Amino acid sequence: MNIELLHQPESAIARVSLDSGEELVAQAGAMIAMSGSINASTTLRKGKGGGVMGGLKRMVAGESLFLSVFRSPTDGNTIWLAPRLIGDLLIYEMKGQDLVVQATSYLACSSQVDLDVGFQGFKSLFSGESIFWLTFSGQGVALLASFGAIYEVPVDGEYIVDTGHIVAFEKSLDFSIAKATSSLMGSFLSGEGLVCRFKGKGKVYCQTHNPGSFGSTVGSQLPPR
Amino acid sequence: MNNKIPYRVEHNPAYASLVLDVPANETVMVEASAMAAMDSGLQMKSKMKGGLMKGIGRMLGGESLFINEFTAQGKQGELYISPGVPGDVKHYYVSSKCSLMVQSSGFVACSPEIEIDTKFQGFKGFFSGESLFLLKATGDGDFWFSSYGAIIEIPIEGDYVVDTGYIVAFEDTLNYSVENIGGLSFKSLKTGLFGGEGLVCRFSGEGRLWIQSHNIAPLINFLNPFRPTKSN
Repeated sequence: MNIELLHQPESAIARVSLDSGEELVAQAGAMIAMSGSINASTTLRKGKGGGVMGGLKRMVAGESLFLSVFRSPTDGNTIWLAPRLIGDLLIYEMKGQDLVVQATSYLACSSQVDLDVGFQGFKSLFSGESIFWLTFSGQGVALLASFGAIYEVPVDGEYIVDTGHIVAFEKSLDFSIAKATSSLMGSFLSGEGLVCRFKGKGKVYCQTHNPGSFGSTVGSQLPPR
Repeated sequence: MNNKIPYRVEHNPAYASLVLDVPANETVMVEASAMAAMDSGLQMKSKMKGGLMKGIGRMLGGESLFINEFTAQGKQGELYISPGVPGDVKHYYVSSKCSLMVQSSGFVACSPEIEIDTKFQGFKGFFSGESLFLLKATGDGDFWFSSYGAIIEIPIEGDYVVDTGYIVAFEDTLNYSVENIGGLSFKSLKTGLFGGEGLVCRFSGEGRLWIQSHNIAPLINFLNPFRPTKSN
């Protein structure tokens, strides 16, 4: 499997080349074009522990974690994948280090990577959406999407990131979700909702823009539903 | 690709702006409201293009296809054109050998010799549940089309499948059929206002296809939960 990223950083799109027998698991709706012979099916992904059906049905800002599995019967087939929002893409090589990914940033992964709906964060004060995390483990390749540009922060000690700006982080880091300030009103008024405090050593992948803020800013001005 | 009207595309693929160098006394047709800046020597006239008169009642995604005509009076003039959404702009030379099929919201500009047929209707619900029409551009001249996000050109030589919401344009030499791939359908999950039917367009034959890296529909789906609810 070969993944090529084009048109970074604003309109990033991925071209995945698959050989005979190779499989790609992608967020439902991510495929925009593909060679005619590729086989597609939707699936509810079961994690290592099984029993994630309940978690998978949870709605995250109107989206569930429904996956499409693409299988290539012959060599040299192509799939084009695109994220929902304009931004960048990141290829993360899984080599034994578990990765925690914000569900909305997940685009695709090779089929040997295990996807676990491991942790559901607290409801965000600002946007009211649940922060849904996925844990990736195993070997293979993960393709992540961001809103805005992606930048890597190598943490060694302590670091705080607004939860809306987290794309993914290595599980070697200890993390806790907290309010930005000690008082509930303080957090709400500052507009800073929830933050994630990281401790230890590992990489955090951040996005420059916050989909929740964008959604509230634009969505609140649209006609009511 | 040859072209009659000199042009250049700046700031692509994310924020493409089309700059036309309209030769003296020549005319160019441009999507209404797309003109960003122009030399004072250019004169603008509002018009509906030829065969569109019959399609006057047709709403294309809520808007009629209004076109402005720009003529360079006496001397050459520069015209800056910006499509409605940030993305890419590509040029195609339409000839008797090959017509171009374009997603209606993708029209940016064309030379006056081009005939645009909006009566040619793609399948209703062709593009993710919206009644977007396909335009057919025939004749002999320049045509410019735009996208949301980047445009990717795919030379087709066989079997290719494309999500209908991501098609920007394709050459008339290609055969196509709209299908529903059950394996991609997640409509029953009510994941949003648009999309999820698993509707794809299967192309065969030989010709070029242009797809866009993004689509407005997922953006609308994303924004939908943030809209105020009527009880507020």
